[in-house]
Amino acid sequence: MGQEERLRFDEVTCFGENSISLIDFSLTLGEGENLVIFGPENSGISLICPLVVGSIADYEGAIYYRGQSIKDFNYVELHNYRTRLGYLQAGYGLINNMTVEENILLPLRYHSDLSSADALRKVDELIKELRLEHCRNLRPVDLLKYETLNTAYARAIALNPDIILLEHALETQCLINAQVYLASIRKRIFRQGSSVIVVTYEPERYSHFADSFIMLYKGNKVFEGDRDAFLEQKNPYLKQYMEASLEGPMKIV
Amino acid sequence: MIQGLIRGITKKGALFFRGIRDFGRFISSIFNSFQSFRYLRFRSIYTIAVNQTRFTGFDALPLIIFIALLLGGTIIIQATKNFPKFGIEEFLGNLLVIIIARELGPLVTALIVVSRSGSAIATEIATQKQKKEIQSLEVLGIDTTLYIVFPRIVASIISIFSLIIIFDMVGFFGGYLLSLTTVYIPLDIFFQSLLDSFTIADLIGTLIKSFLYGILIPLICCYYGFKPESDFQIPIFVSKAVVRTLVVIFIVNVLVSALFYF
Repeated sequence: MGQEERLRFDEVTCFGENSISLIDFSLTLGEGENLVIFGPENSGISLICPLVVGSIADYEGAIYYRGQSIKDFNYVELHNYRTRLGYLQAGYGLINNMTVEENILLPLRYHSDLSSADALRKVDELIKELRLEHCRNLRPVDLLKYETLNTAYARAIALNPDIILLEHALETQCLINAQVYLASIRKRIFRQGSSVIVVTYEPERYSHFADSFIMLYKGNKVFEGDRDAFLEQKNPYLKQYMEASLEGPMKIV
Repeated sequence: MIQGLIRGITKKGALFFRGIRDFGRFISSIFNSFQSFRYLRFRSIYTIAVNQTRFTGFDALPLIIFIALLLGGTIIIQATKNFPKFGIEEFLGNLLVIIIARELGPLVTALIVVSRSGSAIATEIATQKQKKEIQSLEVLGIDTTLYIVFPRIVASIISIFSLIIIFDMVGFFGGYLLSLTTVYIPLDIFFQSLLDSFTIADLIGTLIKSFLYGILIPLICCYYGFKPESDFQIPIFVSKAVVRTLVVIFIVNVLVSALFYF
C-alpha cells in the first residue's frame, strides 16, 4: 500500500451492455501502486476504466478518488477530475485530423496554464522520451502501431496525472517496439509516484513490474494477489487462463 | 385501411415528438455545458473556429459568386423580357432588393452552406464518434459540447453573414451587367435605385436570418452527427441532418420574412 489512497472501489456492482457485469467489486489503489486487472472477454474488465473516469454513472456501491465519491461530482468537478487521470483507451482514440504533436498538445492547450511556448516544450520532452521525433508532424493514419500507442500514451500523461489507466494498450503491439512505452510507465511509477491500473488480456506483459493482479470472471473476482502469487499460478482460474486451456473452472460457451 | 392509416400517422407523430424532445435535450446539454465555459481556453478552440470559418466561408466563395451571378442575371433577364422597358431603371433596383437581398440571398446561401458544411459537420462528428475520438476527448476532461459545437456555431454565424453580403453584392452586380445586354441603365441610376429600395428592415432581416441560420445549421448537423451508434448508420443520419436542416431553414425564412414584411 502506498502513502496515500488515490482510488477506491467499494462493492461496486454494475451492469453494462451485452450482459457484461461487475459484481461487488472492491479495490484500493495507493500512490505509486500499480495494479493489473485481467480476465477473459465478458468478464467485466471492460467496465473498470469507464467506471473510473465516470463515463458509467449507473452503478451500485461507491468509487472514491482521494476520499471523494465521484458520483457526487458536479458537471465541472467531473471534468476537472478527469484531468487528474491519464486514460489510454482501447483503440487509442487519437484525433485523426491532428498531427502527433497536436494530439499531445491538446490536453495542455485545453487545461493547462502553460504558455504556448512552455506547452510546446513539454510536448518536445514527451516526444523525445517516447521516440516520436521522426513522426511528430504525421497524422494518426500514417503512423505505425507502436507510434500510435506512444502518441496516445504521451497524450494521456501530458498533464502528469495521478492515476494512469491503460486499457488493452499492448494487445496488438510488437513486444520490442513497446519497450519504450513500458520503460516510460516504469519511470512514472517508480520516480514520479503515479498510480497505474492496467486492464488487459495479457497480464504477463506487465509481470516484471506490476505490484498486484486481479482476475475477473463473469463479473466476480476469482484471483487477487501480488506478483509472486501471480507467477506461481496456484489459483485454478489463473492457471487455466495463463495456459489458455479449455479445461478448468471457467466454462467457455 | 383507415385504421392502418391512423396508426401510421400516430406512430409518425409520436416519432416526431420524441425527436423534438431529444433535440430539446441536446440543446439543454449545450446550455449545461456553459457551466464549464469559464474554464475554456480560447486557444484550444481557435483552430477549430478558424478552420470551420475557412471551410464554410472562404472555400464556398467561388460557388456563392457563381450562383449569385447566375441568379442576378436570371432575374434581370426575366424582368426585362416580361416587364415594359419604359421606366425599368426605377423598379429594377427594387426588384433586386426584394428578390435577392430579402429572400434568395439568405436562402440560397443557407442552402449552399447546408449542402457543403452541414453535411461535412455531421459526417465528421459521426466518424469521430465511431472512431472513439469523441470519447477520448471526454476522458481527457474536454467538454465535447463546448469544444465541438460552440466554435462551429461562431464560425457559421460569421461565415453565413459574410456570404449573404457577398451574395447580394454579386447578385446586384451580375444583374446590372446582364441588364446592359438588353437595356441601358446608367450605373449611378441603377445603384441609386438600389439604395432607395434598401431599408433598415432589410438589413435587420438579413442580420437575423444569418444569425439564426448560423446557429441552426451547425446545431442540427452536430445533433445528427452525434446520433449514429454504428458505422452503417452514418449515411442515414447525415442524410437526415441535411434534409431536416433544409426544412428548418425554409420554415425560418418564411417566419422571418413574415415578421418583417407582412
